[in-house]
This record gives sequence, C-alpha cells and structure tokens, in this order.
Amino acid sequence: MTPDLTARDDAILEMMARETAVMDDLVLRAQDPLGWLAVRRQARSFRQHLEPALAVASAARVGAEIAAYDASLARCYERSGAELGEYDPGVVATERGHLGLRVALIGKGGVGKTVLASTLARVLARRGRTVFAADLDTNPGLAISLGLGTGDFALPSAAVEENAGSNYGWRLAAGVTAVEAVRRYATITADGVHYLGLGKIGSADKIDAKQSVVALTQILLRFGDPSWDVIADLEAGPTTPFEGYHAFADTVLVVVGPSWQSALTARRLLPMVGDRRTVIVANRFRDEADHPGLEADVRIPFDAAVAEAERHGSSPVDSCPDSPVIDAVGRLADHLLTTSQEVKV
Amino acid sequence: MKIAVTGKGGSGKSTISGALARQLARRGLEVVAVDADPNPNLGIALGVPREQVEVMRPILNSLLESGHTHNDPQPAAEDLLARYGVDAPDGVRLVATGKIERPSDACLCCGSHNTTRQFFGDLPADDRVVLADLEAGLNDLIWAHPGADDVVLAVTEGSTKSVEIARRACRLAAEMGVTRIVLVANRTVDDAEVHRLFDEMDIPIFIVPEDPAIEASDHLGVAALDTDPKSPAMVAVAALSDLLADGMVRS
Repeated sequence: MTPDLTARDDAILEMMARETAVMDDLVLRAQDPLGWLAVRRQARSFRQHLEPALAVASAARVGAEIAAYDASLARCYERSGAELGEYDPGVVATERGHLGLRVALIGKGGVGKTVLASTLARVLARRGRTVFAADLDTNPGLAISLGLGTGDFALPSAAVEENAGSNYGWRLAAGVTAVEAVRRYATITADGVHYLGLGKIGSADKIDAKQSVVALTQILLRFGDPSWDVIADLEAGPTTPFEGYHAFADTVLVVVGPSWQSALTARRLLPMVGDRRTVIVANRFRDEADHPGLEADVRIPFDAAVAEAERHGSSPVDSCPDSPVIDAVGRLADHLLTTSQEVKV
Repeated sequence: MKIAVTGKGGSGKSTISGALARQLARRGLEVVAVDADPNPNLGIALGVPREQVEVMRPILNSLLESGHTHNDPQPAAEDLLARYGVDAPDGVRLVATGKIERPSDACLCCGSHNTTRQFFGDLPADDRVVLADLEAGLNDLIWAHPGADDVVLAVTEGSTKSVEIARRACRLAAEMGVTRIVLVANRTVDDAEVHRLFDEMDIPIFIVPEDPAIEASDHLGVAALDTDPKSPAMVAVAALSDLLADGMVRS
C-alpha cells in the first residue's frame, strides 16, 4: 500500500480488481451471442458505476488507474460489439430476449413497489426463469411479501468484511463471488425465487442494518450470470436511488399510485435513474387522471382482493390467483421480456 | 412540545401531520411543521397550493444555491426558519429540510438528515409546537432522535408490513428514552382485530378511520381539511390535536 492512498482510494482499487475478475470471467466464457451480450451489459454497467468513484478518488495515481480500467472496459464493450456483429442479427435479437432481466423498483412509499416486486418475481419464476429477488430496504417488506414473515433473512455476517473505505465501513467478503453469494446465502422462497436482503433497522445504532448495504449492492452489480432475472425492491423515495442502489439495473420501474403526491414523487425520481430504460407502472389504476403529468407504460388495475391480501401479508399469487392484477403483472413481465431489445447493452 | 411522526411509506404520516399541525394552530398554538422527507410534500396536506409545493426550496437546497458548502457552519435553526420557512394556512410555519433532485446531490443527502436533527433538536419548543413529518421508515427517526419530553406518533395502516414497521418504530422510540409514544392506527376501525394487532405493544392507540374523503383529496393533491373538514378522518385528527394540546398523552 502506498502511504499517500486514503482508505477510500484503497477501496476503489480493490473494487476495480474484483470487477476486473468478473469481466475476465465473462469474456472467457463468452462463446455465443448470449455470452457476448452479457459481456456488453456488464462492461456498460461497470463503466457507469465508475463515475462516482472518479469523483471521490483523491490520489492522482488512483485517477490514472481508473482511467486505465475505464479504457479496458471500453475495449471489452467494443470487442463484444464486434463479436456480436459476426452473428445473424435475428439470432442476436432472439438471444437478447433470453438475457436475464436487471430490474429495480422505485417510487413513493405505499404505492405498492414491494407487492409488485414479489408478484413479478413469482410470475417470472412460474415461467421457468431463475429469479433473484433483492430487498434493498432497511425496513421489513419484501420478505413478508414472499411469504417469509417478519424474521431475519439478511445477508449473514459471514458474507461481509470490514473495509474502512466503503460506505458504512463494510463490503462483500473476499473470495465470495456474487453468484456464489446468492447460491450460498439466499433463502429460497415460493416458486423457487431466491431472496437476499439488507439487514433491518432494529436499534438506534443501525450497524447491523447498514453493514450489508455495500455487500448487497456489490452482489447486484457484479452478478454477471446472463441466465438469471434480478429484481430489486428499493426503499421508498429518492435516498436509495441517490445512493446508487439501482446501479446494477438496466431497467427501472417507477411505480405510481392514484395520488397526486405519488405522481410528483415519480416525476422527481425520473432524473435520478440516469441513462437507463424507465417503465412507468400505474398501480391500483382507475383512470389516467390518477397520475397527472406522467404517461403510464403499464397499468395494473385496482383490486380489493389484492388490498385484502396485503392486509394479511399474503401474496396475491396465492390468495387471489385469478385477480386481474396477476394478469396485468404477467403483461408487465411480457413487456419487460419482449422489449429488452430497447435496453442499451 | 415536539412531535415526531414516523411510519411506513404510504401509512398516512403526511396527511395526519398536515391536518394535526393546522388543528393545533387553530387552538392558538404557534406551530412549526418540519418536512423532513427528501421528497417533500407535506405542504399538500397543509393546504399549500400544489404549484407552490412543486417549486418550494428546502433549507439545504437554498443554502447550497447561495454558495454555502458543507464546511461552512450551519446558521441557527431559528434563522433558517425565518429565512426559508413559508406560511401555510391557519398560521402554520412550514419548512422543508432538503430535497434530493439529482444523483450528484451528495451534500444534500447527509445534510438534510443533519438539518432534521438540528430542527428537531435545537429549535426551542417550550411555547410552540415543532412537528416533524419524517421520511418513510425507521432511519429518519434515529436521525431526529426524539427525547424523553417529546411525542412520537407511529402511524400505521392495517397491513402486516405497516404494523411491523410501527412496532419497530415504537421499540426504537422507547430505546431512545421517549415515554410519550402513541400508535396512530390509520384507515382502520376500532375493532377487536385492530386491538389484537397492537395489544402486545402496551402503548396508547388512537384510531383514525378509513375515509374515502382522504383518497379523494390525495387523488387531487389537496388538503382534506379544506375539501372535507367534517369527514371521519379529519374529525379524528381534530380529537387527536385536543389530546395533545391538553397534554393528556402521558407515559
């Protein structure tokens, strides 16, 4: 360690080394259009993620290393483009449809993000897809909606290690890859959905809750495996999008309910998500006046049976499988899968 | 008196905070309403026009725009209130701590939490009410850090998730030494099921009934206290303000 490096600089260098390993592995295994699409997507999201690192790096040497890393990611990105150019465009387009989803849900509190995230995850799983559902809220939510109740299903302390340079002072433990972490630590829930979550705030020192934040966002960002769908449920409001919890996602669902305030929140959140595809989901939809100033891409109708399921903490997939809400979430899944060509990779 | 209003997103914190602040003001009390949400919209529930709520500049945004940096000492809460507060109906003074608008709003994120703590901690409240409508979830309750003499209203609706978050909020408040904790069971009825949900918590429960008038006013982005002041939920909040104003909420 060079003495003039801060703990933050060290953390950035370590982050780049671990990401490089993920990238190298993906390039090594890329032998078909799906593999090269995965390389392309990963190179793009790592490059996007570098910008905040540049802003906080203090030592000139780290700046130079970041520039070199960025150049190597750019080469991976260009190479994947060239490799994909060698295949029939129709084949590439079909394979894009097989590339697993990378979806984050944001919106005002109470609009139904968590019920939607859990229902979408289960609808995808029932179609035979492999789904990782990540709970990025330090308050209880997604675990309850997936049928796990109010117990503790957080990323265990074995998965994290102390690191002075990381936010909150912790990161993903050395030697644990993102996919391994999910296989090893996730709780398998209804329909085989894999659940991993942040610790929940249980006391005023917040440490238990916050030590898993960096590790879980790193798992999401480094989750290169193209065959999994990843669905992440963020905490209400702008704070977690500001902190970049959605950095892994290429698609952001902005959920809005039938209230003017939730539409205001959605309009405020849109500039937070950066250069990603956004899908505006009008939940508990009655008519277009529900969300002034926004054009909904997908509408999920109001259904009293779903509201009743929420009261009891049960999933609409189990308690009202014939609800029009389940159909609408199915259409949302179709929309996400069939329009994945629109996603920049 | 200082009142911190906490709970799950969508449980009705702002609706209750806005109506409660105005009802306390109508009882002749000086009321400061602090919007601690980085996505501020308490103004709507206070009856501030939508257009004004959209453009309102919170304290931290205003400070940063005037060249303030995070290294500069923060002005006193009283000065900030005079400079950046806006007048809401019934004489309530509304102030928002900070609004996150861009991915690069680094100072805002930490700064708005600190400003919330400054307002809830430092603003003298012997002769007035400081009512803070906190960000969804438990994190902001820790930042506000209410003390033994303060009131914490944990707002919940009847869903499992919301009740669980309120339960944790009550535990946290007790851990911080707060003795005046009230569970506000919103959109519920005073029935056996509600009491069963909250029985083990051993704190006073205040019921605010399910009310279509609130849904209708939320849809339009206006205050139910203006559009339908006699609706059941608004009547209940008026009763809650009586309880608080009379100092009847005890440990």
